[in-house]
Order: sequence, then C-alpha cells, then structure tokens
Amino acid sequence: MNDFLELVVGATASGCIYALVALAYLLITRPTGIINFAVGEWAMMAAFAGVVMLNQWDWPYPVGMAVMVAMMFVVGWMTERLTVRPLVESGAPPLAPILALLGMLVVFREAISIGFGPDPQAVPAAFGFGRLEWGLLAGSYQSFFIIACTLSVFAMAWYFFERTLHGKSFEAVAIDRRAAAWMGIHLGRVTAVSFAMGAVVAGLAGVLAAPNVSAHYLMGMPLAIQGFTALVIGGVGRVEGALLGGLILAFAEQMTVRYAPVPPGLAMGVPLVLLILFLLVRPTGLLPAREGRT
Amino acid sequence: MTHRRFFMSLHTIQWTRRAWHTVLLSALVGALPALAQNTIKIGMITDRVGPAKPYAEPVAAGATFAVKEINARGGILGRQVELMVEDDQGRPDVSATAARKLVDAGAVFILSVSLTPATQQAQTVTLESKTPHMTPSNGGDTLTTQVNNPNFWQTGPLGSTQIATLLSYAANRNYKRVALITENSDLGQLTNRFFKAGLEKAGIQIVAEEMVPRGSTSADAQMQKIRAANPEALFMTGVVTPENTLILRSYRQLGLKMPILGNYNLSVPVYTSVAKGLMDGVTFVDAFDPNKPETKRFIEAYKKDVGTEPYNLNGYGYDGVMLVADAIRRAGAVDKDKVREAMQATKGFVGVMGSSGAQYGFADGKRTGFDTNGMVVRVYEGDKQGKVVHVGVK
Amino acid sequence: MKRTWPWLLALVLLSGVAFAMGSYQNDVYRKLLLWITLALGYNFLFGIAGQVAFSHFSFYGLGAYSVVIGITYLGWPLPLAILVSAAFCMAVALLVAIPATRLEGFYLALATLAFAQLFIVLLNEGGQVTGGTGGLANYRLPDMAGFRITGPAYTVVIVVLMLSTLAILLRLDRSHFGRACRAARDNPEAAAAMGVDVRRTRILAYTLTSTLAGLAGMVYAFVDNTVNPTIFGLENVFLLLFMIIIGGIGRAAGAVVGAVLLYLLPFVLSPLIGHHHALVFGLVMVLVVLFQPKGLMGVWDALLARRSPVARNHVDKGAKVQAHG
Repeated sequence: MNDFLELVVGATASGCIYALVALAYLLITRPTGIINFAVGEWAMMAAFAGVVMLNQWDWPYPVGMAVMVAMMFVVGWMTERLTVRPLVESGAPPLAPILALLGMLVVFREAISIGFGPDPQAVPAAFGFGRLEWGLLAGSYQSFFIIACTLSVFAMAWYFFERTLHGKSFEAVAIDRRAAAWMGIHLGRVTAVSFAMGAVVAGLAGVLAAPNVSAHYLMGMPLAIQGFTALVIGGVGRVEGALLGGLILAFAEQMTVRYAPVPPGLAMGVPLVLLILFLLVRPTGLLPAREGRT
Repeated sequence: MTHRRFFMSLHTIQWTRRAWHTVLLSALVGALPALAQNTIKIGMITDRVGPAKPYAEPVAAGATFAVKEINARGGILGRQVELMVEDDQGRPDVSATAARKLVDAGAVFILSVSLTPATQQAQTVTLESKTPHMTPSNGGDTLTTQVNNPNFWQTGPLGSTQIATLLSYAANRNYKRVALITENSDLGQLTNRFFKAGLEKAGIQIVAEEMVPRGSTSADAQMQKIRAANPEALFMTGVVTPENTLILRSYRQLGLKMPILGNYNLSVPVYTSVAKGLMDGVTFVDAFDPNKPETKRFIEAYKKDVGTEPYNLNGYGYDGVMLVADAIRRAGAVDKDKVREAMQATKGFVGVMGSSGAQYGFADGKRTGFDTNGMVVRVYEGDKQGKVVHVGVK
Repeated sequence: MKRTWPWLLALVLLSGVAFAMGSYQNDVYRKLLLWITLALGYNFLFGIAGQVAFSHFSFYGLGAYSVVIGITYLGWPLPLAILVSAAFCMAVALLVAIPATRLEGFYLALATLAFAQLFIVLLNEGGQVTGGTGGLANYRLPDMAGFRITGPAYTVVIVVLMLSTLAILLRLDRSHFGRACRAARDNPEAAAAMGVDVRRTRILAYTLTSTLAGLAGMVYAFVDNTVNPTIFGLENVFLLLFMIIIGGIGRAAGAVVGAVLLYLLPFVLSPLIGHHHALVFGLVMVLVVLFQPKGLMGVWDALLARRSPVARNHVDKGAKVQAHG
C-alpha cells in the first residue's frame, strides 16, 4: 500500500508533465485548428534555457523561470508570425501550417543539437530532490513542485477561458472564426497569443521534467507524443480534459509497469494500445466539449 | 521567335562551356588520388548527427589524434596515413553504404565506431569485399557471433567481460539474489542479456528484471518493483544517459540501499555533471586506469595537442588506430589478406585502455581482442570517479 | 498502358547504368531507387488520397521482416515467402485501415504513429522470431533456378520494382479511382453525394500503398542482407514526408525529385556543410510550405511559364485549383 501511495505522487507528477504538453496543444488547437507537433521541441528549448540560466549562469530559480517564460512567449509569438500567419492569411489548406510546423520541429531540434552538442546536460530542480511526506503520500520536492505548478497553470487557464473576456474571445474564434472577426475580435492577435501561451506552457513542461531526466536534444519527440496521447484521451474540448488525460496516461503507464504481470518490454506498448483504443472507440476524448462546436 | 532561339542558343553555349569546365575539373580532381597514392588509407565510420553521437564522436576524436601522432612520427611503412571519415548518421543502412564507399576508395582497414546495428550492417560489406574491419568501441557480444565474418574484430569491452569482472569483484560478497535494470536500446538489451547469462552461470538468482523505456519521465514504478523483490545488489545494464539518470534518481528517492554495479556506460564522465549527487558509492566497470604509465602518457599528449583532458572513450579510438597500424606494420604491405593475417596474429599488444598488464590479442582464432582480464572496477566517490579497486576476473 | 516503349527504354537505361557503376555507387543507387519507390507510394497516400499516415515506413519493415522470417525461421521457398508476406502486409493494412479511416486528419496521423511505434516494440520483443533488438542477419537471397542474383543484376530487380510501382500508381492516378481519391480528399461530403464510397476508397488507397511499401521492403531485405528495428525507426517517415512536400505534393514527378534530392544531398553536402543536413531540410521544408506549396515541381512549372505562354496558362489553371483546395 505504501508503494502505491508513493507511486501516486510520482505518477501524478508525470501526469502533470503530460498534461502541460497536452494543454500546450490545446491552447493552439482550440482557436486555430492547427496541430503543432513542435511543442515537444519547445519544451526541449526551455530545458536548455534552464541549463544556461540556472546551471551555467547560476541565476536564482524564480528569475530563471521568469526569463524562460518571457523567452518562450516570444518564441511562440515569432513562430506564429513567421510560419503560420502567412499561411493562414493566404488561405492555404489547413494541412499547410501543420507541415510548416513539422519543418520547424526539425529546425529547433537541430539548432539546439548544434548549439549545445550531443551530451545531455543537467538542469537544477526548484527545491532539490529531498523527500517530502504529506500525510500518507510521499514523494520528492520536485514532484510536489511539478504538481503545484501544473495545478496553478491549469487554474489560470480555466479562469482565463471561463471568466475573462479574452478567454471568451478564444472560445468565440474556436466556434466560428468569421463570426468572431465580425464581432471585432482580432483574429491575428488571438492566434499569436495562443501560440505564445502554448509555447510558455510547453516550456514549463520542459523545465519541470528536465531536472529528473536531464536536458537532451532528443527529449522533444517522446514528450510531443505523450502530450498528444493525453490530449486525445482527455478530449480537445476542455482545459480540464488535458489534465485528466495526462493523469490517466501516466497512471496507466506506471501502474501497468508496477502491478501488471507483463514483461517490461511489452509494458511499453500499453500506452500505445490505450491510445489506439481511445481513437477507435472515443476519439473525442473522455470529457465532452461545452456547447458549441466539438 | 528568332529572338528566343538566339537567347536559347547563347544559353546553350554557356551551359556547354560550364559543362566542359565541370568535366575538366572532375577529371583533375579524379586524378588527384592517383597523385597522392603514397598514403595508407584507413576508413572510419562514425555517427555525427544521430543517437550514437555522444559516444561515437569522442572515439573518433581519439582515433584522429592517433593518426596525427603516427603521421608525426613518420607514418607506417614510410607512408603517411590518411583517415577517411564517413558519417552514417546512426542509420545502419547508411553505414553499409559508407562501408562500400570506403572499400571503393581503397581503404585497407575500416573502423566502425557508430551504433551496434550499424556496425553489424557494415559487416555485410566487409564480409563480401574481404576488407579488414574492426570496432574499437562497441561492446555488444553478438557482433562477432551473429555473422561469421573472418575479416571483423572487436576490441571494445564485451558485455560478458564486464559482468565477469564485476562478479569477480563482488565474489566475497556472495550475492545470491540480484536485480537487473536496463532500457530499450539495442545495446542496452544486448548488455542486459549477457549480464544475465553471466549471473546465471555463476548460479546467482535474478529476482527482478526491469526496463525503463526511452522517453520516460520516471523510473519509480520499475524501481518499486525491484525494491519489492528485495535483491542484494542492482546491476545497471542500460547505456543511455537520461534513463540511467532516472534510475539513479529513483533509487535515492525510494530510499534504496543495495549496492549498484554498473556497466561501462557509467564510466562516461557525463554522469558527473548530469547525475550530480546521485553517483556516490556507485560501482562501475571501466577499461581506463588513469594511473597506468601508457595511459598517463596518452592523457598528457592528448591534452597538449587537443587542449581538453581525454577520457575513456577517446582511448578506445586511439587504441583502435594503433592496433591497426601495428597490424599493417607487421604485414609489411598494404594488402588486405596480409593485413588480415597480421591482425589475427596480434598478441601482447599494450594499449592505453585496460588495466596495467592488460594486453590485446586474438589468440586461437578469436575475434574479440580486449583482454578478458583487462577491465577494472572503480567506485564513485562523491561525484568523482574514484581509484581502481579491483582488476580483472580472478 | 498506352505506350510500352518508354517504359522499356527506361528499364534498359536505368538498369544499364547499374552495370557501369562500382559497388559503392550501385549501393547508393539501389537505396535511392527504393526511396523513390516509397516516396511514390507515400505521395499517392498523402498527396492524392489526402491521408496523413505515419505508418508507411512500418509496412516497409513489415514486408522486409516477413520475407526474411519466411525463408529463415519458417524455411519456406522464396516464392511462397513472398506471396505470404504480401498477403500478410495486405491483411495488416486492412486491419489498420478499416478502423483508422474512420478518423480524420490528425487522428489518423496519431493512430498510425502509434501503430508505427507498436511495430518497433513488437520487433524488439519478438525474441527468436524477429531477432529482437539485434535483428536478423546471416541470410541471403536464395538461388533461383540455379542462378544467384547479386550485384548489378539485383539492381535490375529494384529498377523493375520502382518502375512497376510508378506504372501502377500513375495508372491509378489517372483512373476513376484516382479521381475518387482526390474527391474524397478535397470534399468528402460532395464526393459522397456524387456517388463515391468515401470509406471504401480510403481503405483501398491505404491498403494498396501500404502493400506496395511492403513489397519494396521485401526487395530491401536482400540489399544489405540485414534487418533490424533501428532501420525502420520513426525518423524515416518524417524524411519521406519532407521528400514529397519539397518535391511537390500530389505529383509523381515531385516524389521522384524530392526523393533524389533529399537522399543524395547528405552525401554531397557532407563535405560542405558538415552534418547538419537535417537543419537544412527542415528550413527548406518550411520555406517550401510558405512560399511554394507546390514544391520544386511548382518552381519548375513557374520557370516554364516564364518561357512559354502556353505553359503559363497551365500554371494559372493550377493556381486556381489550388486556391479552391
């Protein structure tokens, strides 16, 4: 039982990382319909920013995080401006931005690989890795930190979409672009902000995951796939869906490894099978979208 | 109409002239090798962009340094050595193509320092073309057994040698029940297989065997399973840094206390920076004794020439080239058959890698040359790699 | 096929070249031909049928592994192994296509991505049968009627494969099926209203192109006489995607141009820009999507248009179609 409770914390932390990546996809997909696979590489870039600012330059953690957030905001904004906006404005087919972003995925990854070399690099944790016991649950400081950060981010995202006018404008764009434009909503700005926020959230995922795993230039792809899986499971329609999907995925993965009598190599296939099942049986995910378009 | 035809013909003239220039230039460039026929060509296939890059590039650097040293001392058989480097991008099919290119370009020996499956695939070419081929760094045991290639040798530290050395070190602990943990790369699985075989041969029971897939964010589930099985020691057979770091992190988090014995991947210095605070007390097997006189000399020479302090990966590449040079010298000619025979006859060669007294040799038709007694066991003290605490398999 | 002589001429020329080249160039040439074959199939699936699938390369691997397992582990004669492997690829493709084609756009992409990863996991865990992580080696093409096909003669086999694939796909492209695929891609509702069975068309397109990829895989198995999971990894599908986008999506010529360029360029560029060709490809991909979505073939068309007013007419028509699409 102790094992289970301990695993709960770890699995929740992993689930939060997946949830953040899923949220990054969601923030971009909702208003624009564009699937941005490059979110994994954004996470990786932020992790390396963490290497430079927190490790090499030894800045205090909050400062480093703040700068990282600002940096990723700019990266997201620029990506949208340079590679997505021209396509949307010229009326290109919806596949085109997705392809352009796949190209950018490779560009980001190679740029980091050239800049930092092939070896993994260390990123410090916010409060170190001491063990924290909280009632019956136990885990590392970093795990609790990840959970706390994620919950805050999701709370902010929920508040943004549910309670603020800006957030409602996102929803409006998601439901009907043209009508939203006629209502005076600036489409370009909504898209740019969605990309920028998506980049920030993805970057956060990277910086939170890297202390455990190290920052290395191949870390983007697995995160992108796991995040996408979480999104599919939870449902694209609601912010809470991303969180739910991430947690379900992480728990399925880790509980299978821990308790299922399956050889370790095949246990890897469980999240894949889960994904395929979801896609076949319930592609809209577990949480239905709110009224309006699915 | 005539206007256009005129422009087109002008264009044609320009194009023809350009084509001629290209032809002449290519002929000249093609003739250059003939002018430089005095070099001895050694080919090297490395990975500059793919997943093996962190491990292949340092080995390649060591090899390049060795060639430089040889040439500075007058070369081999009075001729300078030309190292032809090909990048297989970590892709096995490109590795085979690269091998063909090297063979066609006249390489008398090919060194493979990339991924294990890439080295495997390149063997198809060296088997067919009867070109001497060696890996100085790959440690997968099946490279010499899966395909019967008399032109291929392996001087990297074998998984079987690693486990034998670790077991000999731990002999007095009398382990009866141990656990294994790895990841899902090709070499990780291979190393795990041979560690398992070594343990089973020694009559030790494996109570847990876990695998952390690449891309994982946590190894807690696997480590909990291991904790539940209560082994006396944990053998780490994975070769990928992020996953090994996760394992070490989990180990501390879960409060595990059993000794960790790691394969030679844990000897690579990247862990001291990435897994800071996690390495203390970790035992690992290595092939690099910095206090050996030959090694000391190598470290100084490398530092002076290249500027950075070398470590074990560089040493593998260095020894590889030196072994090849030695074989060519003994063969007396740049003839593939003679070089093959000379290589097979290598005996008692002392290199930079290995413990004091370790020798490379391919006795009795074996094609694995690293001294089975030549690995050392070291323990991390804090974040630094400590002294050698045990040598060989006795 | 209206005229067979261009095909025969192509066969003779492309095969003849093989006999004039050394073993290294032959190797590059063979692998290039295989990539062209794959690109042609993927172009049909992605460009013409509009299905964003990441499983193409996995069928390549499936074909390769099946035929090798057939002749080694199961000890079958080569013709039987080939037939059974082809049937197996077809069966698996159907198994994937039937549920997957219900999904649209990125869901299909994700499902096929998951399938591709699952394929690698199964290969790694296949133990004796698949050779696990080390793969299978130690086999070669069995002698046929006393003849051993090696060297440039085997290159001819690959040329035949490539040309057959091209012929089949061109034929399909220009047929009713090709039009149905495009209709299903552009506007499924309208297509259904016009009597096209959208679901069936999609399933057929997927199964057909995947089986063709499997056949290419069978031929590949005897090029290096080694198969292992690393060869068939996920990165290759991205390269395939880049090839057809950069070459010119939806056109066979585009697939050929893209495959030739992206396969050969690393070999040529290595001495110049070192090893960062992936960066170059990514950048070119982005530039192509932004500025010339019709890829290099679009650039070629534009150049031709500048020369001759007739061609300019074609380009304008093409541009109009594109704006609607």
